[in-house]
Amino acid sequence: MSSGYKSWILLTGFILFYVAYLLLGALVFSTIERPVEDKLKRDIQVLKEEFLNQSCVNATSLENFLERVLQANKYGVSILPNSSASSNWDLASSLFFANTLVTTVGYGHTTPLSDTGKAFSIFYALLGVPFTMLVLTACVQRLMHLVTYGPIGMCRQRIGLDPLAATAIHFAILLLLVVLGFFVVPAVVFSHIEDTWSFLDAIYFCFITLCTIGLGDYVPGEKPGQKFRSLYKISVMVYLFVGLMMMYLVLRAFHRMADLHGLTSFFQLPHCDEDIEEDKEPIIEAGPEDQHEAEASAKPLDPASQTSYNTINR
Amino acid sequence: MRCPTLLALLAGVMLYLVIGALVFRTLESPKESKEHEKLLHTTRDFLQNHSCVTAQNLSDLIKSVVKAVEAGLDVKHSSTNFTSRWDLASAFFFCGTIITTIGFGNLSPRTKWGQLFCVCYALVGIPMFGFLLAGVGDHMGTGLRKAVWKMETLFLKQRVSPTYVRVMSAVLSILIGCLIFLAVPTLVFKEVEDWSFLEALYFVVITLTTVGFGDYVAGSNRKDGDLFKPLVWLWIVFGLAYFASILTMIGNWLRVLSKKTRAEMEELRAHATDWTQNIQNMSMDFRIPNPLDLNDPFLLQRRRWKRSTRRRVRRGALGHRGRQGVIGENGHLPNRWVTHTSSMTRLEVVRLGGGEVRTEGARLGPGVGLGVGLRPDCRVSARSEGRSLGRTVARSLSMPAARSMMELDYDPDPIATMMMPWESGSVSESPESDSRSVVSSSDSHTSEVCTAGQGIPFASFDPSGGLCTEQRGRQGVSRLVYFTEDVRFPVPLQQLPKSPNSTKPIPMSPISSVTPLPPPPGCKMLDFFGENLAYIDESSDALSDRNQPVEGGVSPLPRIHRMRRQLPHRSPLRERRDSDLQPPSNPPTPPPLSHLRD
Repeated sequence: MSSGYKSWILLTGFILFYVAYLLLGALVFSTIERPVEDKLKRDIQVLKEEFLNQSCVNATSLENFLERVLQANKYGVSILPNSSASSNWDLASSLFFANTLVTTVGYGHTTPLSDTGKAFSIFYALLGVPFTMLVLTACVQRLMHLVTYGPIGMCRQRIGLDPLAATAIHFAILLLLVVLGFFVVPAVVFSHIEDTWSFLDAIYFCFITLCTIGLGDYVPGEKPGQKFRSLYKISVMVYLFVGLMMMYLVLRAFHRMADLHGLTSFFQLPHCDEDIEEDKEPIIEAGPEDQHEAEASAKPLDPASQTSYNTINR
Repeated sequence: MRCPTLLALLAGVMLYLVIGALVFRTLESPKESKEHEKLLHTTRDFLQNHSCVTAQNLSDLIKSVVKAVEAGLDVKHSSTNFTSRWDLASAFFFCGTIITTIGFGNLSPRTKWGQLFCVCYALVGIPMFGFLLAGVGDHMGTGLRKAVWKMETLFLKQRVSPTYVRVMSAVLSILIGCLIFLAVPTLVFKEVEDWSFLEALYFVVITLTTVGFGDYVAGSNRKDGDLFKPLVWLWIVFGLAYFASILTMIGNWLRVLSKKTRAEMEELRAHATDWTQNIQNMSMDFRIPNPLDLNDPFLLQRRRWKRSTRRRVRRGALGHRGRQGVIGENGHLPNRWVTHTSSMTRLEVVRLGGGEVRTEGARLGPGVGLGVGLRPDCRVSARSEGRSLGRTVARSLSMPAARSMMELDYDPDPIATMMMPWESGSVSESPESDSRSVVSSSDSHTSEVCTAGQGIPFASFDPSGGLCTEQRGRQGVSRLVYFTEDVRFPVPLQQLPKSPNSTKPIPMSPISSVTPLPPPPGCKMLDFFGENLAYIDESSDALSDRNQPVEGGVSPLPRIHRMRRQLPHRSPLRERRDSDLQPPSNPPTPPPLSHLRD
């Protein structure tokens, strides 16, 4: 029972620590963002006053007008002249929207306006999210064999490294490759294509997207007059999918490594259990003697290996 | 997961996305174009009414206003006293949405430093939240499962079918969760935020699946006060944990199903090979009669064996491979295959159900499943001592009895191994058609029962869930054991003096490849002893009042008492069985001790 208590205590401690983390974040964000917000607000006030001064518009009609404009803008309908050409709901954009819905990124730059659309989104999300998770997990499982077990086994056999060190090194390399391939390179590409984005903006976008947070402040392909818009959106979709897979892979490799190093049992967290049954080989491949064991135990399943009844001497 | 399955899944997701895109386009484009027209209208009207405003000025103003709004400002209420949107409560909420990866976006950092800090914050916070979610989900899941288990036991006491109970418990757990985490918040948001019901539900679902569009955000108007936002955040945490546990549950079911199908495929394959060999050998000795008549002291006997085998297995007698040398003694072959199947299914059940089933499996004893293969040993050895067992037993047990036993018996004791052969034996008459009909009848029995018992392999309370996987194992075992039992008859009867009822044809199918293990020497004495005592017990049972628990009057052995106390649920079984049972007329014949000493 002590372990049960221990787990409860750990959990409460964890929750408290988490709350403290949130408070810390809130403080920092507040301090950083508030001055900028102040400034922006003041600028807007000035702008409005200037506008009102130089024209015959009175405040209330301007307010009403702005309200309408903003409401439309919230739904992605813009009044600005350039953007009137492309719709937010042509096939490529709808596909992009469905993808953000199903991968739970959810930018929010376009949202369903009609009631039917909202109802449909509910059902679509309820079905699609588990479905996507299943597919991603399945892909990651197969990828794990390729990316994790193979190299580590090879590492162990050829170089003869200690398993703990091998997994740690492998994880570090994997992390580096993923960061390079899925954050830095796409950020460069995005910052080139989108002219209003800086490199930091692009990296911020990649990160927020691949963690499925999806704030929606930066969305690629929304620039009016974007060339090859459909192709661009679809390639962003593919990037999103593959990137998510990579993130899960990294996460799973980390979980395995933590298991191996005993971190999960130290913190009383759930183990990476599902893999143990399904994967045929452990993360460190069994030595030759283990494989013999496995084969020997598998043999009785083969009925031909049993001596037949006729061989019994009566 | 297999490659074709994976590809199929990928194709499925792509198809799903395309379908969704088409539907969304059909639903949304008309409304969008309508909105656009309305806006154009309004702009034109405005420009007409206020002629001193040029279009250029207007579009400039609009651009800056829109930018400000995207930065998170609330431009509608142009009051001069400025209330920042980054007050502590809102910032807390924002951090919460970052960490849970919901990411509403109604508020987002605009500065470079803010964005950089956001990235680092999320890098640390998201895994942390993942762990927290795992922990909370675990506790919540266990709590829910305990409650559901209590309900299940309640229902089981009232003799409702286990399948029904399992399905109901699954449905109930989902319903309870949905009620607490979906329905109640929807109503609350509907009231507090003044949304319609659909909008509130839309917000709840989009938030709990962590999509988080941000078009509707609870607590975005200030008048609710600062208490509302932390409450919303708490609800998000628990709702997410609930969703995660539901998803794991569904994942477990799918895994169980896939494993069971794989196990069944393996078993069926092995059965098929085995059976063909049996058929070949069957033609040789099917005419040997089954002389002996015994009633069911077997039930008790088997229980004793089960306990003794459990004890043996616990003592580490898993080395059944070591017993191979004893082949010639009574014609048994090592029953590795059978043991493995049942052990496989047992371990599967143990693994699949997660933590709670692990405890259940531990309670039932690791040796139970493994003892399946070992059990027929003792029986067979007893028989090899010259007692042939009951065709009359088979006839006395009706089919419903066996079926009920299999259904209600959550002790993974292969009663089926006992009863099925006898049953089938009673049905069949002619030798050749016997074997086939026997097999088919046993087939139908087990398949019937198993399909009845399958239901949803809900992993929560799994002695009953283990029932069906066990039955699958037992199915194989029972059929094999059927052959086993009948195989024994030619062997001992050749050793024994001729028995009187040699005229009765018996479907004999000497087992070719599957035989139980040769028992340890101590088993024989134990068996004979146990069988006699069991017979005495059973007779006293049958003759006494059925509903009364059996006192220890007849059998002095404390072991039997302990077994009785352990298995109180057998009373309904016993009732039904006793109705068909005649008082034991043929006491077990004493074993020829000469053979014992061999």
